[in-house]
Amino acid sequence: MEYKDYYTALGVEKTATADEIKSAYRKLARKYHPDLNKDKDAESRFKEIGEANDVLSDPEKRAAYDQLGQNYREGQDFNPPPNWDQGFEFRGRPSGAGAQPEDFSEFFEDLFGKAQRQQSGAQYGGQSFGSQDFGGQGFGGQQQGEFNAKGQDHHARILIDLDDSFNGSKRQITLKVPEFGPDGHLQLKHRTLDVTIPKGIREGQQIRLKKQGAPGYGKGEPGDLFLEVNFKPHKLYHADGSDLYLDLPVTPWEAALGGKVKVPTPGGVVDLNIPANSKQGRKLRLKGRGLPSKKPGDLFVVLQIALPPADNDKARQLYETMAKELDFNPRSHMASGL
Amino acid sequence: MNDDILDDHETLTLEDVCQNCNLDQDVVLTYVQEGLIDVSGHNAGTMRFSHSHIVRIQKANRLERDLRLNPAGSVLVLELIAQIDDLKNQLKYFKRHN
Repeated sequence: MEYKDYYTALGVEKTATADEIKSAYRKLARKYHPDLNKDKDAESRFKEIGEANDVLSDPEKRAAYDQLGQNYREGQDFNPPPNWDQGFEFRGRPSGAGAQPEDFSEFFEDLFGKAQRQQSGAQYGGQSFGSQDFGGQGFGGQQQGEFNAKGQDHHARILIDLDDSFNGSKRQITLKVPEFGPDGHLQLKHRTLDVTIPKGIREGQQIRLKKQGAPGYGKGEPGDLFLEVNFKPHKLYHADGSDLYLDLPVTPWEAALGGKVKVPTPGGVVDLNIPANSKQGRKLRLKGRGLPSKKPGDLFVVLQIALPPADNDKARQLYETMAKELDFNPRSHMASGL
Repeated sequence: MNDDILDDHETLTLEDVCQNCNLDQDVVLTYVQEGLIDVSGHNAGTMRFSHSHIVRIQKANRLERDLRLNPAGSVLVLELIAQIDDLKNQLKYFKRHN
């Protein structure tokens, strides 16, 4: 088992006061909360600082940890001496802040886990037992009645192709699951799942994989795994809800004179009528050509007028003719005398 | 594997939500009052919730517990996060075009 340096995890000195520890923890908790910080390391960092805070904010545990850890550094091989915890009294886990204790490292569990479990017993929300050894030996006179509860739900974000949503598909998705390994270090485990992408799913919607979350306690069912869907950037379209947007380059004469052009859509090429005198950025709607659903989304085509370069005599001549013949000043509204 | 899309159909009762999230009715009703979610139905008996509501409630509740917020605070945080995400998306869009 490796030694974990809780002071380094919170970025405080060994001499830090309770207030300093509290404020360091609160700052880091806001920064790394997995609901706020979408970095992939946020969750494991959040767990680490939660564990560090749990120990350092409790005077009894902190004293025990300090006594044990005087000569150790982060990552060093560590074995607690037998009966080291004699003379320390552990209360139940304080309610409130902190990471979920079942995620705590082996280092933590070995030092503080068992003593705590005796105290917190079978109340849900005490959460201080590992599911695998709940109900096992070690409870002594404190043995409680059987306890069943649904396991925790897990959450993850996945990136899919827009086409997967448009057509519906089956995809293999690999999730990285941060776990404390046997050496007490956080490591990323890979877990591959076959997921059916429902046709028409929108960004931000969730796919629920039943019973793929954390195992239940006792006879409780496992929790669910929720996958929040995001789209990979697409070379043509971007999505807003069920609607899709496409930037369509057009020539100045197509925009000015109007006419039919061919337009790609996820369902295939279609004809689009450009009205005469269309301006740059004009939005044209192809009804029902967005993501499918009961009420299918629309495809909005945004006109992007592309200028032909004046890089040959012919082109230059045509521009010069326009300059001479057309009475057009796009800056006339900006100030008089322009 | 058994999976389903969490659509916005509002079919769950207040009791279902409480059970699913492990929360008391009062807590869930506070979220409704704070406007975290728009539910159909006007009183506790007729209210109907969707699965995406549950996800939002759980998020708000985690933030409260972990960062010691009150319900108004966690709802505000979630709204601001949604705004930031929205702006980031717009920014991404505009960056591609300039």
